[in-house]
Amino acid sequence: MKRRVVITGIGSVTPLGLTLEETWQGLLAGKSGIGPIRLFDASTFPTTFAAQVPDFDLKPYVKDPAPYAKVGRNVRFAMAAARMAFDDAGLAPNAVDRSRFGIYMGSGEGIVDFDTLVTSIARGTQDDGRVNIGPFAEFGLRTYDGLRELEQEPNMPANHLAAEYGLAGPTYSCLTACAASTQAVGEAMDLVRTGRVDRMLAGGTHSMIHPLGVTGFNLLTAISTEPKNEPWRASRPFDRDRGGFVIGEGSTILVLEELEAARKRGARILAEMVGFGTSADAYRMTDVQPEGRGAAAAMRMALEDARVGPEEIDYISAHGTGTTENDKVETRAVKLVFGDAAPKVPMSSVKSMLGHLIAAAGATELATCVLAIRDQVLPPTINLDTPDPECDLDYVPNRARKAEVEVCLSNSFGFGGQNDSLVVRRFIP
Amino acid sequence: MDRRIVITGLGVLTPAGVGVEALAHAIRDGRSAVRTPDHFDPSGYPSRVAGVVPEFDMADGVRKDQKRYLRKNAKVMARDIQLAVAAANRALLDSGLPAGDEKAGQPVLPTIDHTRIGMVFGTNFMPTEPDDLAGPVRAASGHGGFSLKTWGTYGIPQMFPLWLLKYLPNMHSCHTGVLWDAQGPSNSLTTSDAGGLLALDEAVRIIRRGAADWMLAGGAESRINPLMLIRYSLLGRLATANDTPASASRPFDTARTGQVAAEGAVVFMLEPLDVARSRGARVYGEVLGTGGSTTTAGINACDPDGRATASAVRAALADAGLKPADLGAVLAHGAAYEPQDRSEAAGLAAALNDAAATVPVTATKGVTGNMGAASGLADLAALMFLKAAHVPPILNCDRPDPAVKLNLVRGSPQPLAKDVVLATTLAIGGQAAAAVIRINR
Repeated sequence: MKRRVVITGIGSVTPLGLTLEETWQGLLAGKSGIGPIRLFDASTFPTTFAAQVPDFDLKPYVKDPAPYAKVGRNVRFAMAAARMAFDDAGLAPNAVDRSRFGIYMGSGEGIVDFDTLVTSIARGTQDDGRVNIGPFAEFGLRTYDGLRELEQEPNMPANHLAAEYGLAGPTYSCLTACAASTQAVGEAMDLVRTGRVDRMLAGGTHSMIHPLGVTGFNLLTAISTEPKNEPWRASRPFDRDRGGFVIGEGSTILVLEELEAARKRGARILAEMVGFGTSADAYRMTDVQPEGRGAAAAMRMALEDARVGPEEIDYISAHGTGTTENDKVETRAVKLVFGDAAPKVPMSSVKSMLGHLIAAAGATELATCVLAIRDQVLPPTINLDTPDPECDLDYVPNRARKAEVEVCLSNSFGFGGQNDSLVVRRFIP
Repeated sequence: MDRRIVITGLGVLTPAGVGVEALAHAIRDGRSAVRTPDHFDPSGYPSRVAGVVPEFDMADGVRKDQKRYLRKNAKVMARDIQLAVAAANRALLDSGLPAGDEKAGQPVLPTIDHTRIGMVFGTNFMPTEPDDLAGPVRAASGHGGFSLKTWGTYGIPQMFPLWLLKYLPNMHSCHTGVLWDAQGPSNSLTTSDAGGLLALDEAVRIIRRGAADWMLAGGAESRINPLMLIRYSLLGRLATANDTPASASRPFDTARTGQVAAEGAVVFMLEPLDVARSRGARVYGEVLGTGGSTTTAGINACDPDGRATASAVRAALADAGLKPADLGAVLAHGAAYEPQDRSEAAGLAAALNDAAATVPVTATKGVTGNMGAASGLADLAALMFLKAAHVPPILNCDRPDPAVKLNLVRGSPQPLAKDVVLATTLAIGGQAAAAVIRINR
């Protein structure tokens, strides 16, 4: 008899808002969070736009801002999201057993000191084009800030959360690319089920809107480069003229609790986590397995885990990055799992509005499923102007839609072939 | 009743050499593998000692089609990824699962269901090798000086297209998965020194919940990367006994000067005992329990009272249904950074309770330096290989820190009275992890 796991609080900062509600209202209105990159001069980069989180002061979200002076954007977002998640859950961490309260974050890196990196490389570059580490290190050792360098490690958000809230349970950080926070929530759910912990902070945080992040994705031709003058049109999942994803940033964190622990403290329950599936494509470094075999396996595993048949799924939150390959293959995978019923299952991609939050995408998209259940409405896929014949499902084009929503499936299929799916449902006592 | 999970394959690459035997013998014989690094000029660094894995071939022992894949992709696999894949290959080959007769047209691992084999790697996010950016930076510097504008115009076009994928922390799993058609659950943990034991913890959980029958659990890092060395130097964590490399890594010793940065990869093959028996697999040991906790003292701090270590150990013992007195030995993290050593020691003393006076405690980083996420798994691998006849002494622990109130094994090996050992790892500012293993003797 599995222990039941419920969601009792959610906090989120995204390009559409500094609260979950603000983001949700923006999604329902079909608003885009994509605009010209403000965080650095990207004017000559192949991609000049991204979805950025509005500026905010961290002070209201933490006990003392001093330890956060040198953190990356990923930590800032996570601290804000966690604070709001606890508030939403009505949970004071020091009022519960924190040794049975862990953390699982799908968390990306901090921000590289690009200036110092470039200068130290230039100092060391020899005629043969290789870098002499002597001068490279000499400059770096006197210029880099040690704590800022430490903040680059992807484990830092989890470590800061543990310190801020005194959470002493088992703590994990994972970085399975775009699937990371779906995987984090799924594994966190499993930890609660096994009885190792009673509560988990689970979610994701990431910002790759920095020179090396944009460089890296441009080199892979994975991100959209047009239209530069109307960037809100650049994220076009499932549209015939899609040209790649748009980098976003942000954090979404959920409070997961074992059901009896939640009841005992009189928690308001948002939804129940019922299923998790995870698989690997094991196909290629750069390409997704073209039949969608891995994605289908993750979805099936999640449904089986949830003891839910495909016919019970009212909404799928797609991975839906807007790359030529993903959207096509994802469509195939959904057909493999849902069969003839596939065209009747609404599936939208909020990446059309939020951009791709990379490690934070999965948790953010799961949150939209929880709200879809709460409000009985589906967020749209915007910019769906011209259907692609190979993408012929119901992607809730362009306008939010009222619907009966009881059970949702949320998918994330990462670069490198890791596939993760979650099933969340309305909580029925 | 939880399924019993056993270890049926070992893949090990450490500064002591390629393979678990090299590591085990170096530990048994008290031979340090720490030296002055020569793969780059270390003269600019305050710490000029390191544990470097000697030359290795990722394609050792694998099929021709796998060799081709590795030759083709080696250039876009960062150092830690290459180590991880090499170790994973060795673990799989060591497990005795038939690799598949390529000439006869068999796929890899033809005897198993490929949706039932997966992996969890503990690792870090390796910074870029400076050489990878040198040409592009030069190209962007020639137009009145480097700027983001010139980088966009002249630098980016000079970068090789797969640069980002060369370093992503999930690529250990990606490449290993492609090589072996491992389609099961696949994760990449970034929990620093605690990564290997947390990978073990998660892999066991995945098998127990029925999502896989075989899981690779590994830890792989290369901390001798020039940028990581800068990072840890600036944080004051690294050893500076540069004139005496062999004695530079001094776990729990009063004369320690810090951690020795090292690299390595250790991968275990895990499967349920009944599956291992049914295919006649050699069993190195059994995972009896795992546990984890985390420091709440801050991102660059260690709990002076070792509470994270104590919690992790208690959780692992509880998971195993055992008491401290049931342990034959403790394999401590012992990274030789004073606050970390003391924190771990305090935690162990608290968790071991009365048994702290008698249970022998050893640490192997005097031999290898700190390999990061490979910690813990490396110590266990060595002991399993040696069939744990003895508890090896801690190399370079000549005058133990009086603050360390443990039964440290020094000088000569001690008998291992019981075949159950506890391994612990501790990430500064982060996770503590523990595992209780029964070693098959």
